[in-house]
Amino acid sequence: MMLLNMSLQVDQVGEGYVILLTGLLIVFSALLILSLFFQFGLPLMLYVYRIITKGRDKKIKDIPMSADENFTGEVAAAISTAIHLYLNEQHDDENAVLTIKQARKLYSPWSSKIYGTHQKLK
Amino acid sequence: MVLKPIDTSLILAKKHKMKKILLIFGVLSLLIFIRPALGFSSDANPKDGITTVEAQPNVDQGDGVFTNAVHGIEQFYNYTGFANATWGHIIMILIGIVFIYLGIKFDYEPLLLIPIGIGVIIGNIPFVAGNQTGIYETGSVLNYLYFGVVKGVYPPLIFLGIGAMTDFSSLIANPKLMLLGAAAQIGVFGTFLGALYLGFSLPEAGAIGIIGGADGPTAIFLSSKLANGINILPDGTTVKNLIGPIAIAAYSYMALVPVIQPPIMRLLVNKEDRKIRMKPPRAVTQKEKMIFPVVALLLTTFISPSALPLLGMLFFGNLLKESGRTERLADTARTKLIDIVTILLGVTVGASTQADIFITKDSMLIFTLGAVSFVIATMGGLLFAKFMNLFLKGDNKINPLIGASGVSAVPDSARVVHAEALKSDPHNYLLMHAMAPNVSGVIGSAIAAGILLSFLA
Repeated sequence: MMLLNMSLQVDQVGEGYVILLTGLLIVFSALLILSLFFQFGLPLMLYVYRIITKGRDKKIKDIPMSADENFTGEVAAAISTAIHLYLNEQHDDENAVLTIKQARKLYSPWSSKIYGTHQKLK
Repeated sequence: MVLKPIDTSLILAKKHKMKKILLIFGVLSLLIFIRPALGFSSDANPKDGITTVEAQPNVDQGDGVFTNAVHGIEQFYNYTGFANATWGHIIMILIGIVFIYLGIKFDYEPLLLIPIGIGVIIGNIPFVAGNQTGIYETGSVLNYLYFGVVKGVYPPLIFLGIGAMTDFSSLIANPKLMLLGAAAQIGVFGTFLGALYLGFSLPEAGAIGIIGGADGPTAIFLSSKLANGINILPDGTTVKNLIGPIAIAAYSYMALVPVIQPPIMRLLVNKEDRKIRMKPPRAVTQKEKMIFPVVALLLTTFISPSALPLLGMLFFGNLLKESGRTERLADTARTKLIDIVTILLGVTVGASTQADIFITKDSMLIFTLGAVSFVIATMGGLLFAKFMNLFLKGDNKINPLIGASGVSAVPDSARVVHAEALKSDPHNYLLMHAMAPNVSGVIGSAIAAGILLSFLA
C-alpha cells in the first residue's frame, strides 16, 4: 500500500511537471500572440481600414492618434489624480451618531378636511 | 376663510369617541388572542390540566414547576453559543475581529476584509447542528447564498465589473508588457508543483496553485471547480473541500501586497535599475480600445476555452465600457452589480471558515503555500522584466519594478510599484506603466486557471 502510494505520488509529480511546462508555454504563447497582434496586426488592420475608407495616410506610423499627441499617459494620470483627490476631499468623515429629533407639530391644518367642508361658492 | 369654534370641538369629540372604541376593541382582541398563552383555557380544553397532572403524579406542584423551569433553562443553555463553543470557534472569531480591525484601522482592502471579517464571525457562532443554521447545512439561508461560491457564479460577475472598470490603454500602447503578466504566472505553476510534493492530489494542487495568480475571484472559481468536496478522484476518494481556505488565503495575501512585495523588489532590483524612467505611453485611439476586448476575447478563449466564464465576462464588461453606447450597463456593472456580488461573496466566503471544517493541517499548509506562491510570482515578474531589458535598448528599456505588478491584484500591486519607484526617484511615476502588466496578469491568471481546469477537471 505504501509503495502504491509512493508510486502514485511520483506519477502525480511527473504529471505535475508536464502541466507546469505546458501550462507556462500556453500562457506565454497566448499573451505573446495577443501582444504581437496589438504590436503589428492592429496597426496593419487600421491601415487597411484607412485605405478602404479614405485612401489617404499611407504611413503606418501616422495612423495612431496624430490629433492629440500631447495628451500622454502622464497628463491623464495627473488629471485623474487631481479628480481623485478632489472627490476624496468632498466626502470627509461624518459624524456617525444618529439622533432623531422630534418635530413639535401636534396639529397642522395642511390636509385638514374641515377647511374643505366649509368652503362656499362665492 | 372663517372657522367656527363649535364645529371643531364637535369633530374633536367624535374623534375621541372613535379612539375609545378602537382602544376597547384592541384590548379585547388582544385578550382573546393571548388567552391560550396565559392559560385561560377555561372550558375550551378541559383535558389539558388533567394531562399535566398525569405526567408528573409523584412530584408536588411547586417543586415540579421549579424543576421544569431549571430543566428548561438548562435545555436553552445547551442551545446557546456558550455551551457549544470550542477553542476553534473562539480563535476564528478573534481572527474575524482582526480582519475587521485591519480593514478599518489600516485601510487594507476594507471592501474585502470587512465583509470577510464579519463573515468569519457569522460562520463561527457555535450552534446546534440540524436546525438549518450553518452555511454547510443544506437548506439554510447562508447555504443558498454560498451556492454562488460553490458553483462559481460570483467570480464571473466580479470579472464583469472589473472589465467595466479597467482601462486597457496602457497595455495597447505597449503590448510587450503583456509578457510580464505571463511571467508572473510561474507562481501559479510553481505552487502547484509544491502542493503536489506536499501530498495534495492533482486537482487540489491546481486549486491551491492559483493563489499565486493573486486574483481572488479566479481562485474561488477554480477551487469551486477542482477542490469542491464533490468531485471523485481516480483512486475512488472524494476531493477535499478547500474553497474556504483558498479564498481566504488569496484575499488576505491580496490585501497584504503592500507588505509582501517591496522587500522582494529591493532584493532583486538594484538602485540604478529602480531609477529607470520609461517614456510615456502613447495615446490610444478609441477604435483600438473597442477592438481590444473583442480580439482579446477571441484569441484567449480559443487558446484556453475553459477560462471562458471569466475571460468572457471580463472582456464583455470592457466592451460595455469602451463601446461608448452602453454607458448605463457599464456603470451598473462597475458600481452596483460588483458591490452586490462583493457583499455576498465576502460574507459567505468568510462564513465558510466554520472552525470544525477550517482549522485543519491542510489550511495551514495552504496558507504557507499561498505566501510562497506570492513570492515566486513576484520574483518571476521581476526577473523576467530584467531579462527583457537585456534585449531592449535606450529609450525602450523598462523599469524592472513593474514586473512585480504582473501578479494580478489589481490595482494594488501597480500602486505598490509606483510607491516603490517614488522612493528611489521622487519624479519617476510608474503607475500607468505598471497598470499594463497588472491587467495582463488578470488575463494571464484567468488563462492559467483555464489550463489547469482543462487538465485536471
